[in-house]
Amino acid sequence: MTAPAAAAPTVNLTVEGRQVTVPAGTSILEAAKLAGVLIPHYCYHPGLPVAGVCRMCLVEVEKMPKLAPACATSVADGQVIRVHSEKAREARQGVLEFLLINHPLDCPICDQSGECELQDYTFQEGRKDSRYQEPKRFNPVEDFGGDVLYVPNRCILCTRCVRFMDDVAKEPVLNVSERGDRAVIGKFEGEDMTHPWAANVVDLCPVGALLSKDFLNKARAWELDRSASVCPNCTQGCNVMLETRDNTVVRMRPRPNEHVNKFFMCDYGRLNYRWLNRQDRIETPYVRRGDVLESADWDAALAAAASALRGKRAFVLASPMLSNEALHLLATLVRRSGGKGTFRVDRGPEAPLEGVEELSLRAERAANVRGAELMGFANSDSPLDGLGAGDVLVVAGEELASLDPGVAAAAAQKAGAIVVVGTALPAWAQRAAAVLPITNMAEEEGTFTNVHGRVQRFLQAKAGPGLARPSWFVLADLLGALGESTNYFLPADAFAALASANPEFGGMSYDTLGLKGSPVASAQTVEAGAGA
Amino acid sequence: MSEVGNLHAESHGSHGGAGHAHGEPHQPVFVGAARRELDELLARYPTKMAALLPALWIVQNARGWVSEASMVETADVLGLTPAYVKGVVTFYTMYNQHPVARHFIQVCTTSPCGACGAEDVVKAFLRHTRCGELGVASPDGRFQVIEVECLGACGFATPVMINADFIESVTAERVPEILAGLD
Amino acid sequence: MGYPHQPHARETLVLSQYFGDRDAVGLAGWRKRGGYEMLEKALGTKEADLVQTVKDSGLRGRGGAGFPTGVKWSFMKPGDGKPHYLCCNADESEPGTFKDREIMRWTPHALVEGVAIGAYAIGAETSYVYIRGEFTEPLQRVGAAIEEAYKAGILGKNAMGSGRTVHVHVHKGAGAYICGEETALMNSIEGRRGNPRIKPPFPAVAGLFGQPTTINNVETLAAVPHILRHGADWYKKFGRADNPKSTGTKLYSVCGNVARPGNYEMVMGFPFKDFLYDVCGGPPAGRQWKAIIPGGVSVPIMTMDEAEATLMDYEGFVANGTMLGSGGVICYDDRQCMVRHIARIARFFAHESCAQCTQCREGTAWVTKIMERIEAGDGSMEDLDTLLELSENMTGKTICVLSDSCATPVVSGIKKFRHEFEAHITQRRCPMRTAAAA
Repeated sequence: MTAPAAAAPTVNLTVEGRQVTVPAGTSILEAAKLAGVLIPHYCYHPGLPVAGVCRMCLVEVEKMPKLAPACATSVADGQVIRVHSEKAREARQGVLEFLLINHPLDCPICDQSGECELQDYTFQEGRKDSRYQEPKRFNPVEDFGGDVLYVPNRCILCTRCVRFMDDVAKEPVLNVSERGDRAVIGKFEGEDMTHPWAANVVDLCPVGALLSKDFLNKARAWELDRSASVCPNCTQGCNVMLETRDNTVVRMRPRPNEHVNKFFMCDYGRLNYRWLNRQDRIETPYVRRGDVLESADWDAALAAAASALRGKRAFVLASPMLSNEALHLLATLVRRSGGKGTFRVDRGPEAPLEGVEELSLRAERAANVRGAELMGFANSDSPLDGLGAGDVLVVAGEELASLDPGVAAAAAQKAGAIVVVGTALPAWAQRAAAVLPITNMAEEEGTFTNVHGRVQRFLQAKAGPGLARPSWFVLADLLGALGESTNYFLPADAFAALASANPEFGGMSYDTLGLKGSPVASAQTVEAGAGA
Repeated sequence: MSEVGNLHAESHGSHGGAGHAHGEPHQPVFVGAARRELDELLARYPTKMAALLPALWIVQNARGWVSEASMVETADVLGLTPAYVKGVVTFYTMYNQHPVARHFIQVCTTSPCGACGAEDVVKAFLRHTRCGELGVASPDGRFQVIEVECLGACGFATPVMINADFIESVTAERVPEILAGLD
Repeated sequence: MGYPHQPHARETLVLSQYFGDRDAVGLAGWRKRGGYEMLEKALGTKEADLVQTVKDSGLRGRGGAGFPTGVKWSFMKPGDGKPHYLCCNADESEPGTFKDREIMRWTPHALVEGVAIGAYAIGAETSYVYIRGEFTEPLQRVGAAIEEAYKAGILGKNAMGSGRTVHVHVHKGAGAYICGEETALMNSIEGRRGNPRIKPPFPAVAGLFGQPTTINNVETLAAVPHILRHGADWYKKFGRADNPKSTGTKLYSVCGNVARPGNYEMVMGFPFKDFLYDVCGGPPAGRQWKAIIPGGVSVPIMTMDEAEATLMDYEGFVANGTMLGSGGVICYDDRQCMVRHIARIARFFAHESCAQCTQCREGTAWVTKIMERIEAGDGSMEDLDTLLELSENMTGKTICVLSDSCATPVVSGIKKFRHEFEAHITQRRCPMRTAAAA
């Protein structure tokens, strides 16, 4: 009988009366999380090296004479931890009092209000009033460059921002300057927060000391609706929260995913949400009558599009911003007509986050390049090459805005007919036989496949304009009008059809994907943070 | 340092301290003998960063203070960022972040010396140098007086440092004679 | 001894034997006095035996913590394949303390020899002597001594012909009391801000540059050659028969209002009353003492009753509500306003706080502001309660004990000199300032 492989050593301990077993070397703070107990803290963050300076996480450990910092103390077998004992609560109240003595009464004008950890813990456990009679320390606001504003008066010196720039971004442009109660976060003139990942410090800051200039005074945290989504701006597929107010996306922030982006997203992605709000949208279907496009209802437009496509070879120029569901339906259109599918993608410089493996702003600036490739679309900088006379050019999601206008016009001339399925009306689309308006990724539900082959869900964050419908819905109807059976009621149905048709997605469903995603069958095993 | 293009508008920089005096270009410190001194120091430590405090002393001994331009040069020589160097410079009180007068007079006033007349020594220096105020240079620019924390000579109250010179057992009465010996 | 160097008959001169003797400073003079004989002997002795001898002697850290030195050395695991380091803590910044500077400027080779022996015993090829930047003369003399030692082949790749490497370098500080804390000292050598580190890991496991490290005070290392020369039993004889935990001699730095300030070397267990009134000459002429701080400003203030009942060793001071600490004896006579001094001590700590821990960063400054307000006559009785509560919040909750050290004089001051605080509050001014100027 062979001996079983040695299991990693574990430790049993009790936190607030709850028993828990954790790997040896786990901190008390993380063990408490597993036991379902939140130990209040500021400077600790699972994506950063431990500092142990805020002193908020001090807990009572039976048989130890002093309180222990939970973030910096490893568990020991048989430990009994008290988080809400009188001693621990008094210590936390002490820390909160010290943090507030120089803190300005800025809540009414501070962006962090409503999502501020100083507010949260003070409300929970702090003193009801202040007994500080001395003058408060004052420093002026500083522009740290990039998207980052620093308000020293509100800073609690947790040093998360410094540790992020030092150890994750690997560009030490922030420091702690001075000593004692004169200490502030500092930078050097000329060295700005222009690192491509610098704005993460705004998320990391527990209070309103580091603010996003983009978000400054734009909305109150409690006015925001939040939806889990995926950043559409490159192929990394960082998980995000899309935050909206009055049906407008006002902020995108990273959502943790240990397989993709840890806790972070790049500045390019983060600040590139305005296109989701553009107002120049196609709001009704259009049908070409004579020389002009006229507004029509959906039935008429679908009929006109199907009529143009029937019996012809479909040449689909898709956008790599479309979801897997939409691309699958377009691929079906291509396949059934013996046609061709292509896409093009904008490129820009890569910008890795040095401190995390396999995490980078990717060169290809669209969310679903991998998905398009998996569906059989060809990645080309001249995506209209091979368009035959008599083909029906289906332009899906693509505005052709950056294609050479001469090339676009020639293609438009060459094609037998043009059907547009999109969000914005391209300039040359007067020739189109039918225009079918769709929602963008913030306005519908779907999935993207990232550069590492991880299939991830994005949820609807706002309502689409006018009569626009989800992309999968419109394409399913179009295929239906051409005689295919595509009776989908929900986006999950569209995905299920894709999963059963494409072995790469075999076995997947929205339920199995959850909000963290799953890799396709042939995905490489190397993903963000692997081995870290 | 990442070289991704301008993703954001150039910031106008924070309200940092003055760069170099009078807009003159920075003359490198670590050349010739100073460079050789640094190289010899570097051999004592397994990391370049560890030579930072000694390197800053070379700068201060050469220039009398550590300017932001010197911080940039020091950072460059040791493979650090200027922000990092500045964080270190601002931690340690002996590195002058601004030019100081020719005779930088530092009087210990921590409690044991306070019990032995340190306050009178300070007042005497302020009066006889004509500085009038702590931290302000005298009208002729030769003197500047500040209070410092314990200098580790409590039994020789009151100890005073003038630049790097350590003078023990200073009393208010001795101040004029001490000043007379300075150029 | 008092100054000019005049030993008192009741002192026991071991480390301070040559204070004031200019001839002892250089290598030649030091060799005449037996210098480096013990290093030569040590280099031919098994490291474990040296560690055992120091353990047996009962030598405890003389910087303030009083941790048994031999035990500290034994934490360094031999043969682990990692570079070991010895750091000598010459940052002497605890107000009231000025003994290490004397060792360094009068007997720098004594320190070099102690460092070399300690380095060899713990398997360290490289040692750093961290001298505070303000110590111009010690820097110059220790630097010169090291140079002499290298030239004479005492230090270097083949120390005294033993085949062993012993490198010693001076690392100059730049003005930060907190760099006297052992982990902050290591950070400062590494070229960082002098922030104390969280322990564990302990220096002997991961210290300087992440390698096993021992940090010892100047006075501690200077004692080692003497222990080797005369033996552990000799060292143990200095102390109370009924207290084997405190052995050897200690240099006490005496300052403030006292007839004969200076550094006095006393055996453990000497009666504090005799020390103060006889050896140090008592208070200045015509004055009476009010308070004594026996071990640098971080230890509780003593009333005269408490001081006069104390025996001078680690346990003796603890038995009377304070600590031996660094042995910096600060004497306050009846001219001194305790409120003013405690305020000034609080200001010292506020100035020196590294800013990492919330309680220290904010607490030291707040305590200072309240103390100064009381001193200026603008305090209230509630302020005293606040000070005591803040001190409680500042004690036992931080990475290092600077925060506790700020709280200690406040707590002991309010406890033992409450009448002075109340006088400031009720009279709305400092009652001492109307008395004749100090």
